Amino acid sequence: MDTGGLPVYGQQQGAVPAEQAPALQITGLRKQFNTTVAVDDVHLVVPRGSFFGLVGPNGAGKTTSLSMAVGLLRPDAGSVRIFGVDVWESPERAKSLVGVLPDGMALPERLTGRELLTYTGLLRGLDPATVAERANELLGVLELLDAERTLVIDYSAGMRKKIGLATALLHAPKLLVLDEPFEAVDPVSASTIRTILQRFVASGGAVVLSSHVMELVEKLCDHVAVITRGRVVASGPVEQVRGGQSLEQAFVHLVGGRTGGGEGLSWLAS
Amino acid sequence: MVGVLIRMKLRVLSHSLGGSRAASFAFGALVGLAFGGISLSLVMLGYQHDASIGTTVASVFMLLWTIGWLIGPIIMGGGDETLRPENFALLPLSPNKLAFGLLGASLAGVPPVATVLAFLGLVVGALFLGVLPTIVAVITVVLALAFTVLLSRVVVGALGAVLGSRRGKDLGVLLAALAGLSYLPLRYAGEALAPVILQNNPVLGGTLRWLPTGWAPAAVEGAATGNWLAVIGAVLALVAVDGLLLVAYARLLVLRLTTPQTNVGPSRAGRVKVSRRSLLPATPIGAVIGKELRLWWRDARRRATMLTSVLIGLFIPVFSSAGGRGALVMLPFAGLWVVGFSMLQVSNLYGFDGTAVWHTLVTPGAARADVRGRQWAWGLIVGPIAIIAGLVLPGVAGSWWAYPWVLGVLPALLGCGAGFLLLLSVYWAFPMPIQRGSNPFNQGNRPGCSRALVRLVSMLLLLVGALPSLILLIVGQVTANPVLSWLAVPVGLLVGGFAAWWLGRLAEQRLLSRGPELLAQVKAAG
Repeated sequence: MDTGGLPVYGQQQGAVPAEQAPALQITGLRKQFNTTVAVDDVHLVVPRGSFFGLVGPNGAGKTTSLSMAVGLLRPDAGSVRIFGVDVWESPERAKSLVGVLPDGMALPERLTGRELLTYTGLLRGLDPATVAERANELLGVLELLDAERTLVIDYSAGMRKKIGLATALLHAPKLLVLDEPFEAVDPVSASTIRTILQRFVASGGAVVLSSHVMELVEKLCDHVAVITRGRVVASGPVEQVRGGQSLEQAFVHLVGGRTGGGEGLSWLAS
Repeated sequence: MVGVLIRMKLRVLSHSLGGSRAASFAFGALVGLAFGGISLSLVMLGYQHDASIGTTVASVFMLLWTIGWLIGPIIMGGGDETLRPENFALLPLSPNKLAFGLLGASLAGVPPVATVLAFLGLVVGALFLGVLPTIVAVITVVLALAFTVLLSRVVVGALGAVLGSRRGKDLGVLLAALAGLSYLPLRYAGEALAPVILQNNPVLGGTLRWLPTGWAPAAVEGAATGNWLAVIGAVLALVAVDGLLLVAYARLLVLRLTTPQTNVGPSRAGRVKVSRRSLLPATPIGAVIGKELRLWWRDARRRATMLTSVLIGLFIPVFSSAGGRGALVMLPFAGLWVVGFSMLQVSNLYGFDGTAVWHTLVTPGAARADVRGRQWAWGLIVGPIAIIAGLVLPGVAGSWWAYPWVLGVLPALLGCGAGFLLLLSVYWAFPMPIQRGSNPFNQGNRPGCSRALVRLVSMLLLLVGALPSLILLIVGQVTANPVLSWLAVPVGLLVGGFAAWWLGRLAEQRLLSRGPELLAQVKAAG
């Protein structure tokens, strides 16, 4: 897969963070909606240069945790540090260090992909020449150049993921936080995105991604955390968490689930 | 940063104006600019007359335009959301900077330009007064414009924050209804005030100058009369208020961007519903009626639309009666207005539900039940209100003669309404934005010229449906034959029943044959 020349990763802009701080450090994060505790005392450490997978069943609190980690949802308690910068105390510095792909995000719908990247880059304070160059490369690598005249509103789900990823990469962050980056993405694009992310990690960046797909996390990530009912039940290097079985087996065991579907429904196809 | 946002907004606007939309945009722009121009010339005329009257007139117009900026977004749907703050949540921008940028961007567009035009009346008027007042006018007009736009943003933003909760949504629905209705009292207030303004009433003039919207004209007046204390005071006060509003706007943005927009907790499904279900027949049509009645209650947008249309239908005759002209002639007919407005406003049933129409499309035989059920549900909500209004209000107004008229026309209108409602919903549907936790009166997409026109024409067609009853009533009136007059009631029932059945059948056939097209039509944009 030819991924072309990408923007130079691993060069953060703005603040100089503490030298040894982990890429992402989540401490005692908590969020309650009405009577439902969505995230309950979550602790996570994402080391620099790691490829970190966050897995958990539906409604486990993955998206809520990640939203709080990148400054999109105010936590009830706890703190988040990105390279030592507190996200909720100095949000501007923190946001310049991280690239985010939220799930189900709002994009300015009536712009073309290139326009979206251009305006985003200018708003991030990049100079126009750099923005134009990076936008062109990103559109090329992510195979969005054919859709040059298509507005984001008319993008398919997979294209939306890709343009979202492009906006996350545009300012060359050192940490990427991606919520379900492979959902609804076709296999070819998925492979492209995987290669980009692997190159990003190889050049010293850290990636945090959430996913339902265990095989993918097992194949891509070197670290993994399992979150269920708002709590982290296991976290660490993939080998350690799965402990000799496949990640999927370990996962089912950890979240205390049993695979259903075997009983009832006798009227179906009888 | 402001420049980038303005360019971004203009680009988004230019992309949004494909084909037919451009026409309605141009029409709206013309109307807006015409209003701006009228305001400008009236203010100018005031100043030509004399500086004091000019100041009062300018204060009045700035107040009116500011009220427009407050009411407009509430009625039209949560204000200008061409650039949503959410789109910039991930950028390293401070809240104040983002607020300032969005303020700048919100000045690009037709309503702001029309407002600028209206406010420029102050500058043009100040030309009559000399150089210094003109300079003061230029400075204060900018500040006054910022005040108006910021106030609108803050109020709408605060409402949006309140509306995040379920209880808040109900409050918002009422507010929207009241805002929609406030036009009427305002009109009468305007008619009553116009002569007073021209008499140059000192109390009124003073009040207008003390309101923040009057500070700019007051400063210009101060510059003309050499009262520099007033000039400095007004300018400083405007700067201070603008600053406060900007900070408040920034706070609201932070709140909006860091609290969940969706209503996360479990929605309560009350106990009442069980008993309601048992009243409905356990047939497909009964099921649709039950679903529709629930949606009219649970879907905040539907509830808002229904409530406003019923309130407007009731209040227009009441206010017209209070206004003196045609006193008490309109009041007995409030029930008829309710039917007309409700039909007009909710005649986008499939648009309300968005792509949910696929349920009907994949279920064999569901089209008939869906059309009939929706007709019945609308009738069950609007019918009782209209009938009670029709039975009570003529008596209240003391117009006993009106009973055969109201009761003869009402069934015809109800039946035709139930028919046209579905016909319009199926033939001329338009998409509405997906409303996940957003503003309940956010209508976003406007119907567009042709669809709006069709709806107005259908109002006239309602009258055609009432024609048989009307003819009987008129003949009965002329020949003083009460039997003929009262004959209008069964005729109205017959016509209404037939219209509901026949028009509903047309809608049903269309739904059957062009279902996929309807689905594509109501697919919300994003």
